[in-house]
Amino acid sequence: MRIVIAEDLYLLREGLVRLLSAHGLEIAAAVASAPELLEALVEQRPDVGIVDVRLPPTHTDDGLRAALQARAQVPGLPVLVLSQYVERLYARELLADQAGGVGYLLKDRVFNDEAFIAAIRTVAAGGTVLDPEVVAKLIHRRARDEPVARLTPREREVLALMAEGRSNVAIAQRLFITEKAVSKHAAGIFDKLELALSDDDNRRVLAVLAYLDS
Amino acid sequence: MGFALVLLLLTIGCIAIILAREAQGRPRPDGLRGRIQARGWAVLLLPVALAAAAMAGGAHGLIPAELGLAVLAIVFAPKLAARLVPFGLFGLAIFGVHLAKEYRDGVTWRVQYLFVHTEAGGWGTPAALAEAAILFVAGVWLLLRLDAPGAGPVRELAARWLGRRRGGIRTAHALLLIPVAGLFMLLLGPDHWFGLQAFDGLDAAVADLALATAALVLVFRSRTWAATLAAAGALVLGAYGWLIVEFWPATPGFAFGVSDLHNSPAPTPLWADALEGSLLLALGLWLAPRVMRHHVADLSDPELAARAQQLTRRVQALTQTRRDAVDTAAAELRRIERDLHDGAQARLVAMGISLRAAERLFPTNPEAALALVAEARESSSQALTDLRDLVRGIYPPVLADRGLADAIRALALDVPLPVELDIDLPSPVDLPVASAVYFSVAEALANVTKHAGARSVRIQLSQAPPAGPGGLLRAQVTDDGCGGADPAQGTGLAGVERRLAAFDGILAVSSPPGGPTIVVIEVPCALSSPKTSTY
Repeated sequence: MRIVIAEDLYLLREGLVRLLSAHGLEIAAAVASAPELLEALVEQRPDVGIVDVRLPPTHTDDGLRAALQARAQVPGLPVLVLSQYVERLYARELLADQAGGVGYLLKDRVFNDEAFIAAIRTVAAGGTVLDPEVVAKLIHRRARDEPVARLTPREREVLALMAEGRSNVAIAQRLFITEKAVSKHAAGIFDKLELALSDDDNRRVLAVLAYLDS
Repeated sequence: MGFALVLLLLTIGCIAIILAREAQGRPRPDGLRGRIQARGWAVLLLPVALAAAAMAGGAHGLIPAELGLAVLAIVFAPKLAARLVPFGLFGLAIFGVHLAKEYRDGVTWRVQYLFVHTEAGGWGTPAALAEAAILFVAGVWLLLRLDAPGAGPVRELAARWLGRRRGGIRTAHALLLIPVAGLFMLLLGPDHWFGLQAFDGLDAAVADLALATAALVLVFRSRTWAATLAAAGALVLGAYGWLIVEFWPATPGFAFGVSDLHNSPAPTPLWADALEGSLLLALGLWLAPRVMRHHVADLSDPELAARAQQLTRRVQALTQTRRDAVDTAAAELRRIERDLHDGAQARLVAMGISLRAAERLFPTNPEAALALVAEARESSSQALTDLRDLVRGIYPPVLADRGLADAIRALALDVPLPVELDIDLPSPVDLPVASAVYFSVAEALANVTKHAGARSVRIQLSQAPPAGPGGLLRAQVTDDGCGGADPAQGTGLAGVERRLAAFDGILAVSSPPGGPTIVVIEVPCALSSPKTSTY
C-alpha cells in the first residue's frame, strides 16, 4: 500500500515514516507543506494520504484545505487527517462529498499502532473513520427532532461504532452480539435514515454524515 | 436690601448648578436635578432677568412676567437662553454706566442696581459703576465661553492684543488676591454692600476671616481664577478711587484704607484717593493681560476645549479597562500555570518515573517492564488530552484556522440543542476582537445549556456597516428558555463584560421571567484586510 505523508514537524514526520515502514507500508512521499502535499496527492495518487491539519505556509488549516482540494480533483482519493484537536465542523467538511475514504483522528491515536494501521486500511478501502472524541460529543447531545432521533439506543450505539470506522465483525465483538444482529441493526439504521439501497460502504458513509449533522 | 439678597442667592445657586454640571461630565442624573443640569449656562438667564426687571422700576407684574419668560426660554430653548445671557449682561452694564451719568447730571432716581441701592450722591452709585464693569467682563467671558454670536471678532481682537503665548499663571500673581481682597473688605466692607449697617466689629471680623479663607482656598484650587479676581478687584477699587475724586469729592474718600464711609466722615485728601486709585488701576492693568491671556488660550477654541474634555473622559475609561485587562490576563496566566502544573507537567513526571522503573525491571522482569511502558504511554496520552483542553481555553484552534464565523459554527455544533445560525460577516475580524466575541458567545451558550431550559437557541452575528472602518460587530444569542437571567449574579457574564470592555465593547442582557433571554454583544471593530490565500 502506497502512502503520502504531510507533516511539518520533522520528528513526527520521521516517526510516522518509520512506523508505517515497519508495518510494511510503502511511503511514496513525505512532505512538509500544503502546496507540496497537493502536488504529491494529485501526482502520486497514493492509496492513502496522511495529512496534518496545520501545515505551512499559513499554519492554520492548510493541510485540510489541500486535502479537500485534492479530493475535488481526484474524487474519492482516500485521506486520513491527523490533528492535535478534532472539530465536528471539519469532519463534516471532509465527509460532505459523500465519496467515503475519509479518516479524521487525533494525533495521539498514532500511539496505538495496530488500531492506527487498521484505520489506514479502512480508509484505503473507502471506509470512514472518525475519532472517538468526535463520536463521543455526538452521543452526549440531546436528541433532536431529526431522523437520527428515531433510532433506538442500540442502533445509535451501532452507528457510533460505525462512525469510528469499525467493521460489522468488530462491532459485534464490542457489543457482545452476533454479526447477524449487527447487520440487522445496520439495516434498521439505513431504513430509518431513508438511505436507498446502494453499496453498503456508501450507505455507511451517508449514515455517519446524517449522524454528524444531527 | 431683601431683593439684593434674593438676587445674590439666585446667582450663587445658578453658578452652583453650572459648576456641578461641568464637574459631572457625561452621565447626568435623572429627574429634576438632571434636567436643571442639562440646561447648563441657560439657567443664568434667571438672575439676569430678575435684575433687569428690578431696574426697570420694579413695577408690579413686571418681575413675574420677565421671570416667566426666562423660565420658558430655559426650558424650551436652553441654547437660545444661554446665548442671551452675555447680551443681557452687556445691557445691564450699559445701564449702570448710563445711571452714573444721569446722577452726575442731577437726576434723583433711586434704583436697585444689582446688589446696591443707588441714589444721587449716595454711596452706592460708584459701587454700581464697579458692578457694571464686572458685568461687562463677565459678559465678554461668557460670550467666548458659549461661542455666542460675536465671539469670533472678540476672539480675534483678544488674540491680537494678547498674542498667543501660553503658560501657567504664577503663584505670586494668584497670591495678589489676598491683599486685594483685604483692601476690598476694608474699603467697601460688608456694611457698604447691600446697604447693611448693622455690622459690628465681630461680624466684620468673621466676614473678613471667611473672605480671607475663601481667597486662600481659591489660590490653591485655581491660581488662574485667584489671579483673575485679584486683577478685577484692583481695577474695580482703582476705578472707585478715581470716581470719588472725579464725581463725589464730598464723600469721605478711602485713601489707604484709613477711612470709613459711615463712622469717620472726615474726608481724606483728594490727592491721596487719586494716588491710591492710580496705583490700584496700574496693578489691575498690569495683571489683567497676564490673566486674560490664560483665559483666552482656554477659550479661543471651543472645539479644542470640548476635545480636551472628551479626551479626559477617554483616558479615565482607558485607565479602568486597562487595569481590568491586566487583572484578567494575570488571572488567566495563573490558571494556565496551575493547569499545566497539575495536568501535563504531573503526567510527564509520572511518565518519567514509569520509564525509569521499566528500565530497571527490563533485565529481570520484562513483562512488568512492558506493563510500565504501557502505563507511560497512557500517561502521555492523558498529558496530550490535558494540553488540548488547555489550548482550547486559551485560543480555540478553529478560531485561529478559520476566523470567527466558522468558530461560531463549530461552537453551535457542540450545543446540545437545535441551533439556528444567522451569520453575516463580509470581512474578517481582527483576531483579538474575534477571540473576545467568541468567548462571550461561548459563555452565553453555556448559560443557555446550563440554566435556561431552552428548547432551541438562535445565534446572530453581523457587522454594521458591513464594510469599511468604524464598523460594529454585533452578536446576539436568543433562547426560548425560562428567562430571569441576572448578569449581576455569577461571575461568568461579568468576566465577559470586562473582556469586552478592553475593546470598548458592551454586553446587554434582556431576560424577563418566562423568557425569552436575549444576550447582545457589540464591539467596535477595526476590520482587517481580507486574508489572501497562498495557493
